[in-house]
Amino acid sequence: MTKQEFLSALEEKLIGLPKANIENCLYFFSEIIDDRMEDGLSEEDAVAFLGSVDEAAEAILREIPLIHIAKEKLKPRRRLKTWETVTLAITSPIWVSLAISVIAVIFALLMVGFALILSLWAVFCALVGSAFGGAVSGFMFLVSQNPLAGIALLGAGLLLAGLSIFWFIGCQAATKGILALATTMAFSIKKRLVGKERSDNE
Amino acid sequence: MDIQLKRGLLDVCVLSAIKNEDSYGYKIIKDLKPCIELSESTLYTILKRLETAGMLTVHTSEHGGRLRKYYRITRKGLQRIEEFKSEWREVMMIYRFVTKEDHEHD
Repeated sequence: MTKQEFLSALEEKLIGLPKANIENCLYFFSEIIDDRMEDGLSEEDAVAFLGSVDEAAEAILREIPLIHIAKEKLKPRRRLKTWETVTLAITSPIWVSLAISVIAVIFALLMVGFALILSLWAVFCALVGSAFGGAVSGFMFLVSQNPLAGIALLGAGLLLAGLSIFWFIGCQAATKGILALATTMAFSIKKRLVGKERSDNE
Repeated sequence: MDIQLKRGLLDVCVLSAIKNEDSYGYKIIKDLKPCIELSESTLYTILKRLETAGMLTVHTSEHGGRLRKYYRITRKGLQRIEEFKSEWREVMMIYRFVTKEDHEHD
């Protein structure tokens, strides 16, 4: 593969990203190829060092925030003609409500994820609090009027403390899992928005 | 290795490569080779991230009839390296404590 072929293929994969991002990226890869060639490699070998175009495009895509790509997608490519503006205005009750629904669904999914994380940690705090309360009140009962109730409360406190340790481990895993899921979701949305095949179909 | 941890380590590696003098993409990859193999796309994303975070600046200079981008570390970037050093002093102490028992058992 020649330098030009690599850069064109990469550009196609990145269509949909902000223009400045694409230019920067192509400039960077072009410079590295030139430097490797200056170091004595042939053009094809210098390009081969870069790995596949897909790998490069995916790495770049992961780093760019989804919001930047969405903004770029919403920008009109050219000045709209009068009839296009009129059509857009007439059909706005349909597309505006559709767009709001899509955004609302994504937002709701995110909120569900974060609410889940928050509630899991709230349960953890409640467990720790109750364990502490049980242990303290159990001790108080033990040394005062009712040793039996004291032992029961102390036992319950210890049981809750044990449970909170397991809950903590579960919470950590769930938090990581939910965050990883959100990242994967964002990445798959990015992949749908970026790339030449998709832009051609639009 | 945890992704966030790896990201942080790579950021500091790249900052260290430009700590003493301005450098360019290919040279950074070559300088880091004995320590870590970095692909071009990974380096690109790291440099972008560091630039956005204000830890380095980019300037262009003429080289052999073409323009080349050079990366210069900022005060914030130098601070990040210092923070890394002090954080890792603690991590190394914990590491020594954790592995001490293994050595005693050996």
